Amino acid sequence: MLIYFLNSILFVMGLYCLIAKKHLVKKIIGMVIMEYAINLFIILIGYKDSGIPPIFLPDMDKATFLQQSVDPLPQVLVLTSIVIGLSVLALMVAISLRLYEKYKTFDMSEIRRLHG
Amino acid sequence: MEGMTFIVKNTTRILIGIIFMFGIYITFYGHLTPGGGFAGGIMLACGLILLTLAYGKNFAFKKLSDFWASILDNLGAFTFWLIALLGYTAGYFFINFIEKANPFKLFSAGTILANNIAICIKVFASVFAVFLALTIFGRFVSALINSEDED
Repeated sequence: MLIYFLNSILFVMGLYCLIAKKHLVKKIIGMVIMEYAINLFIILIGYKDSGIPPIFLPDMDKATFLQQSVDPLPQVLVLTSIVIGLSVLALMVAISLRLYEKYKTFDMSEIRRLHG
Repeated sequence: MEGMTFIVKNTTRILIGIIFMFGIYITFYGHLTPGGGFAGGIMLACGLILLTLAYGKNFAFKKLSDFWASILDNLGAFTFWLIALLGYTAGYFFINFIEKANPFKLFSAGTILANNIAICIKVFASVFAVFLALTIFGRFVSALINSEDED
């Protein structure tokens, strides 16, 4: 139970960075930390006590493998999620570069004041 | 843009073959060990980014220009769709129609190997194209480089 609590602390730290910082790159880093926390949570659901990695080696029989291995399905879904996070990060960085080119600053409070 | 110093260039020249070979190994054994197409493609793209940083952008353009990165990207996606469409010869769409014999060898698990290779090519071209678009073709960076040259 403790590890889910620590994971939610990681998520809240990322959320704090996204909301309370004014610099645009720091907001992007906060969003990336939130993505890490969510991916870690999905992997933690499939954990089993004293489990082995879900790799079937040649010198293993099927019964002990099914009993002892960690659930591999959340890991597969998290792989897709990591790829989506990479594309969103590329788009965020491109938009922030374009904002810098237009407003000459990374400060979010300044950008809201300059209209057009 | 020229590259970096002599030490970086020599170290890159020694290491770049090992990095590419490791990325291809992770792709090809994706159905047996952890990894697969996406991880191998990221490693290949990072190797090419290392080559760009160490030797300058003109050298990397001769290896993979933006036109060929776009072509490779679409080729990878098209190959994935073609392998799924070839499943109609054995039943339904996206079926694993290659025989799945002798476990723990390279040519088991059917079409997963071909799909891993297609994903590796696509991810490699895409990530390198994103790197090019953000650093070399971005208007902000090119304006900064031009203003540096005027001084």
